[in-house]
Amino acid sequence: MNARHSARIGRYLLTFALVVVAVAAIYPLLFTVVSSLKTQAGFAEDPLGLPAGITLDNYLEAFRRMNMPRLLLNSLITTVGGLVLSVLAALLVAYAVTKLRFRGRKIVFLLIIVTLTIPSQAIIYPLYQTVLDLGMSGEYQGLILAYAAFGLPLGTYQLAGYFQQVPDELIEAARVDGAGHLTILFRLLAPIATPALAALAIFNFVWMWNDLLLPLVIMGGSDSKTLMVGVSLLSGQYDVSVPLVSAGLIVALLPVLVIYLVFQRQLVSGALAGSGK
Amino acid sequence: MTISTAPASEPVAADAPPAPGRRRAHRPGQAREWWLGAALVLPALALAVLFKLVPLARGVLTSFESSSGFGGSEFAGADNYTRMFDDPMVLTSFRNALLVVATLPVWIVVPLVLALLIHQRSPGWKFFRAVYFVPYTIAPIVVGIMFRQILAPDGPLNALLRGVGLQPLAIEWLNGRHSALFSLVAVALWSFFGLGVMTYLAGLATIPEETLEAAYLDGAGFWRRLFSVVVPMLRPTVAYWSVLCASGVLIWLFPLIYALTQGGPGDATMLPEYLVFLTTFQFLDRGYGSAIGIALFVFVAVLSIFSVRHMFTEGTRKPR
Repeated sequence: MNARHSARIGRYLLTFALVVVAVAAIYPLLFTVVSSLKTQAGFAEDPLGLPAGITLDNYLEAFRRMNMPRLLLNSLITTVGGLVLSVLAALLVAYAVTKLRFRGRKIVFLLIIVTLTIPSQAIIYPLYQTVLDLGMSGEYQGLILAYAAFGLPLGTYQLAGYFQQVPDELIEAARVDGAGHLTILFRLLAPIATPALAALAIFNFVWMWNDLLLPLVIMGGSDSKTLMVGVSLLSGQYDVSVPLVSAGLIVALLPVLVIYLVFQRQLVSGALAGSGK
Repeated sequence: MTISTAPASEPVAADAPPAPGRRRAHRPGQAREWWLGAALVLPALALAVLFKLVPLARGVLTSFESSSGFGGSEFAGADNYTRMFDDPMVLTSFRNALLVVATLPVWIVVPLVLALLIHQRSPGWKFFRAVYFVPYTIAPIVVGIMFRQILAPDGPLNALLRGVGLQPLAIEWLNGRHSALFSLVAVALWSFFGLGVMTYLAGLATIPEETLEAAYLDGAGFWRRLFSVVVPMLRPTVAYWSVLCASGVLIWLFPLIYALTQGGPGDATMLPEYLVFLTTFQFLDRGYGSAIGIALFVFVAVLSIFSVRHMFTEGTRKPR
């Protein structure tokens, strides 16, 4: 009887702890949504409470000031480009180093994952120089290639770990059946690694869409700058009110949030693909 | 489409293809496999070389030059490096970086505990799992600007603390010598803990129910099962998440510093990554900025050398 009692108390405590963390996780977002719906005067009067009346003027103003459609387009192109290129390059190299027999494959693998230790901040100026020398400063391809390069080490690691689990006999059998290497990679291995690929795609989408330093330096103030650069510039303007910035923030975070909510199941199933052994 | 437009360096040239006939009869098609291998690794190698190794090498070169303003540059030997050791700003930034690194255990344990709580499958666990990941989807720069309001002296956090009678805790979070760095790390943790929870949950999902069942039937209580079964089986996951945190924690802070404190008050939240940015693009001292950048690289490399070793063995080991 007593044991059952304490077990129930344990349950309550557990749920209570989960609720507290959930509130902490979601409150800042709600606060920003509420702020974005207030007028400037309304916010000054009562910054913390619910708004007396709801206004969408802040969203209209944020769209007007930031040239939002263009920023969204820029972010979409560079993110999707970087994501596709990064995952594709990782797929090819992961296959080569795990399933082909050629000398130097371990060195190649090491070389790729070792670049994980080079943070963008440490090499930001020479990276900018290099992009400039390639004539890609302010161009989509400059940022896309940089994104692809920075997403490469973790992607290669995850996919290699996954491919390593696939028995070589399976590959041999497919070879005997006359399948070429690319067929094996894209028709046999990639489907097996779908959870890893999905998780990798979402992970890359999130960080590339959300990154600030690379687009800030590579795109600068050009028309091709991404949404995050636009948001950081908006918040630096002196005449900008909190409700207006809040509206800009909501627009900036909405795409990733929507993608997350849509693909939540795939993410959960593949979150650890590659190292969940 | 997969071949990048970059001029292809010949990266694997050191490993000459086995000359036909010179060796004993080897597996047919091995030479072809070499060429195929080279073709498949080429895009990745080109990306890694062009956008990471070349800039790193150039950074090393620049760090030996004195080049400031818009003028040219000249060789300056190790001047930039010796200068760093006399520069209180640089020393403070690395001391702050060490303080941040010292919080790594918290980064590893907090998500683990939360994942274990969710894994108990109490009512609504799917909801909590979904909600905990939301902060991670929000861009750090957006998070930073958001928390400017949340942590403001009259913001909601302090209002809450005053409301529950913890008046003395309602401080200027972003303006205190010690509280600023603490706040910065706390905001970063808020922004990334969801990824950790998700990672751990995926790891927990790989533990077979039967194993836990067996332990339960053997009379192992909750804590016993936790520490003797669950935690040991979760070791690869813990290792993976530690890899991510160790190599990422300093990098993740950049946009938050940019939006929240700009290194201040004074140099309380100055971290090497922000100092590199400041020195290079604000003070236009490229040589010195590069030197600090190289120092940062060494710092991160030392920190994540174990991670890389772990990744290498994971990626090359055959399954048993």
